[in-house]
Amino acid sequence: MSDREMPKEEPLDLVPIMNLVTILIPVLLMAIKSVEVAVIDTTLPAIGAPSEATEDMPDKPPLQLKVAITNSGIRILGANEYLYPEGRAVVEGAQAPPDVPCKSNARCKGVEDYDWADLSKKLVNIKKGAQADDRDSDAVVLMPESNIQYEVLVRTMDITRKTDGEDGMRLFPVVSIAGGSK
Amino acid sequence: MAKKKKRLAASEELNITSMMDMMTIILVFLLKSFSATEITVNPSDNLKLPNSNADKDPGVAINVVVAKNEILVDNKRIVGIEPYTDPDVPGQTMYKISDGDRKGNDVQALYSAFETAAKNAEGVANLAKKRDDVGFKGKILFQIDKDVPFSLVRDVMYNAGQAKFAEFEFVVIKTEG
Repeated sequence: MSDREMPKEEPLDLVPIMNLVTILIPVLLMAIKSVEVAVIDTTLPAIGAPSEATEDMPDKPPLQLKVAITNSGIRILGANEYLYPEGRAVVEGAQAPPDVPCKSNARCKGVEDYDWADLSKKLVNIKKGAQADDRDSDAVVLMPESNIQYEVLVRTMDITRKTDGEDGMRLFPVVSIAGGSK
Repeated sequence: MAKKKKRLAASEELNITSMMDMMTIILVFLLKSFSATEITVNPSDNLKLPNSNADKDPGVAINVVVAKNEILVDNKRIVGIEPYTDPDVPGQTMYKISDGDRKGNDVQALYSAFETAAKNAEGVANLAKKRDDVGFKGKILFQIDKDVPFSLVRDVMYNAGQAKFAEFEFVVIKTEG
């Protein structure tokens, strides 16, 4: 560290390091970017918004769509005329199978086992049918079984709200959750 | 010392242009993340939020966290949660509020916590009556772990409903599309 040695040193060139850091910092910031959260609105059915007055069209009560989430699949209630325009085959003495059965055709084994694409397709049909009949409604009541995972419930709300894609078709964004059975 | 000074003056000046570049980029990124929401989510092993395509931003409301091991209301631990297995759902751990803490659907600790929160929120709302956005509207933000069964969600919602809360918002992780 003598004064005689110092003058011989070249000044340290910091520019390449600065360039490196310039690249690194955005990359790191991207990596630690915190999760972006959103919320889904719901109400309790009992104290939710009242359904629209139907006096002016007594023949056409608005659609009252209910979606029951069970362990064996999803049942769509209140829209059979759109789901099964030719009538539904009824088997005497047996419980009707779910409208949207699980992909594995048995007990659903997780979120991905539910047939979301089929549910979405059926809901789009119902929405279009209801719009054509002038009894469109934005409301849907979800009725999950007790042991349904919360993730499945959220996914169902996603599917019932709108279709996938950039300009997803608006389906039934006003969600209520009913108590469900024990 | 005089010799050294002379040498430094002769050397090239430090080029700070690239540093300015870096700072500009950091600034942009920080500004972008600064517009984040007011609620804080602390994901852990016991609290994994589900993904959703919802795009509504969370507002100001009472925060309720339902994790796999406890329920928090406004960051205060209210009641514990215990795992159990349901013979109807093999291979899946279920979670519930322990039977000692509940009486039918009523969970006293949870109900009092919601009631206190409602009272506090109403007090704030009365102080600021002129502002619509801070008024008490019975709104709750739920942060719920994605693996808990609906029965637990229903228990929490039931007790919140008993304490005058009616508007429930579920916090989810935003996904594209």
